[in-house]
Amino acid sequence: MRIPGHVWFAWRAVRRYRLRSALMMIAIVIGISGLTIMSSIGQATKQETLARFKNMLGTFDTLVVRPGAGSTRGMTNLAESDVTLTFDDAAALSGAPFARNVVEVENAFKIDASYSDQHVTPAVFGVSPNWAAVRGETLAEGDFLTAQDDQALSRVAILGADARRDLFGSSDPLSKTIRIAGVPFQVKGVLNPRGAGPTGASLDNLIFIPVSTAAKRLFNRDYLTMMIVQLKDPERSDAAKADLRQLLRARHRLDGTAPDNFTISSPRAIMAQVQAMGSALGSLLVVITVLALIVGGIVIFAVMLAGVGARRAEIGVRRAAGASRAAIAGQFLAEAGLISLIGGLIGMVIGVGGTQAVSVVERLPFVIDVPVLVGAMALSILLGVTFGAIPALKASRVDPIEALRG
Amino acid sequence: MIRLQHIAKEYRRGEEHVTAIRDADFAVQAGEFVVIRGRSGSGKSTLLNIIGCLDQASRGKYLLDDLEVNGMSDASLSQIRALKIGFIFQSFHLLPRTSAVENVELPMVYAGRAPDRAAALTALRRVGLADRADHYPSQLSGGEQQRVAVARALINDPALILADEPTGNLDQAAGEAVMELLQRLNQEGRTIVLVTHDDVIAAYAGRTLSIEDGVVTEGRAS
Repeated sequence: MRIPGHVWFAWRAVRRYRLRSALMMIAIVIGISGLTIMSSIGQATKQETLARFKNMLGTFDTLVVRPGAGSTRGMTNLAESDVTLTFDDAAALSGAPFARNVVEVENAFKIDASYSDQHVTPAVFGVSPNWAAVRGETLAEGDFLTAQDDQALSRVAILGADARRDLFGSSDPLSKTIRIAGVPFQVKGVLNPRGAGPTGASLDNLIFIPVSTAAKRLFNRDYLTMMIVQLKDPERSDAAKADLRQLLRARHRLDGTAPDNFTISSPRAIMAQVQAMGSALGSLLVVITVLALIVGGIVIFAVMLAGVGARRAEIGVRRAAGASRAAIAGQFLAEAGLISLIGGLIGMVIGVGGTQAVSVVERLPFVIDVPVLVGAMALSILLGVTFGAIPALKASRVDPIEALRG
Repeated sequence: MIRLQHIAKEYRRGEEHVTAIRDADFAVQAGEFVVIRGRSGSGKSTLLNIIGCLDQASRGKYLLDDLEVNGMSDASLSQIRALKIGFIFQSFHLLPRTSAVENVELPMVYAGRAPDRAAALTALRRVGLADRADHYPSQLSGGEQQRVAVARALINDPALILADEPTGNLDQAAGEAVMELLQRLNQEGRTIVLVTHDDVIAAYAGRTLSIEDGVVTEGRAS
């Protein structure tokens, strides 16, 4: 007997015992659909996280220096932070061999800004002109800050997309005068939107002004809240971080045992951590799904075994009609394989549908993790055949004479 | 066609040694209709299973179409059953929840053919059940079920039909219809060996053997 014969009979048996077949499929369906959804959502989340970090940072080949020995998480609150990073530190760093660019940042959050009767409370970032290049800003209208703006302590401002919309609506913002904490600034440009950051919050509720203007005319302080050091060789990030630390410790006159009074964080390292966290979670989900599939295999095993007992007469008739033991084993094996294949396909369809639903609800990109899907299908067929093997062997050993008696 | 030489069959049932067939030594020519009579427990079913290559003799020699069957592999015996032998059972043994025509198609696959609905319908027409092709066994009477079983036994055009008490579960009219069907198949040239405990059935046969305590004798035993 050739293979199509087994599959033919297997298909008929699957249809003949519909309820039994459905029972056997359930766990496989759950396992495969779960695996599809979880791996695809995991993939999408990873992509989205990467995209959001990229939105916030623009580039990953940087080291970020903040004052204080605090944690690397979140923005340092100015009120709590030590006053340690100076413009001279920034100037010294920009001469260091590992640095391509050093961006000076002087920022504060929830600053009142207004235009005529519209009020908003954006974050105000005093930045050096190289900010736009390092972070990859593009302008929707007007121009970015220049070195002249900085030297002249000009009161000019660049609006983020949200700040522009909230203050000006549909009217033209260029050359209009807004007030930031009561100080008048002239709008010089508007940035293109960046979308959401890692927390999901908008990155466009911002106003940029020259860093020197911020220090001397707005916040009245002569230290920095952040320096972004763009590296010449991003591959040597760790070495650069060590050099940078030594350089700042020397400048700050810190003795051997004194703790750093600044914090250096590496976006690459943070990204790697986030991704590792994601993939650890992913592995856990994969393990759970594989367990579900194994449960599915055990259900197939149990139900097939019970089926062999219930179908002794059928086995006897087939043997009398010319089925060899191998043919009987082949048919039962094909049944188990077919059931898990159909279960796998149904699971895949549900999984793709579920992924689409989740991606709409969670606003994630619609991604299907194809290699995982192919692996899952192969696994489900393998499971069916593996767990169907013993029932199939048992079916082939049914004594036709006993089975046909009476 | 069939030649049994001093066939004996013993098997164990638990602790107990059972001798099902002591001595069977006879031949059946192609085209014969042979009825083997015997009471229940006389070993007649075991004998039929050996002739049908479902069971193997413990001793003796069995030739089917001059081919020595003893000691053949499971695959070879299965091939012989598929191509040369059609079985009919007392309790019909149709597959449940499977239409008459699909039941008839079943043996075709084991003969190496693709299931052929047209051929199965032709076989059903020959047993007078063309209009019942899509009925399930549960929708058929006992006589109709047995005629479907006959069509199934015929589908691979075997030379030998083996019937084990084929009328045992049927009323008289249905039993007669099945026997007339078997008689017609015999007239077409098929060899038929039928075992029964029923004396009336013997009337349809061209030749009668008797089996008692595992010993086969020619003619009607007392």
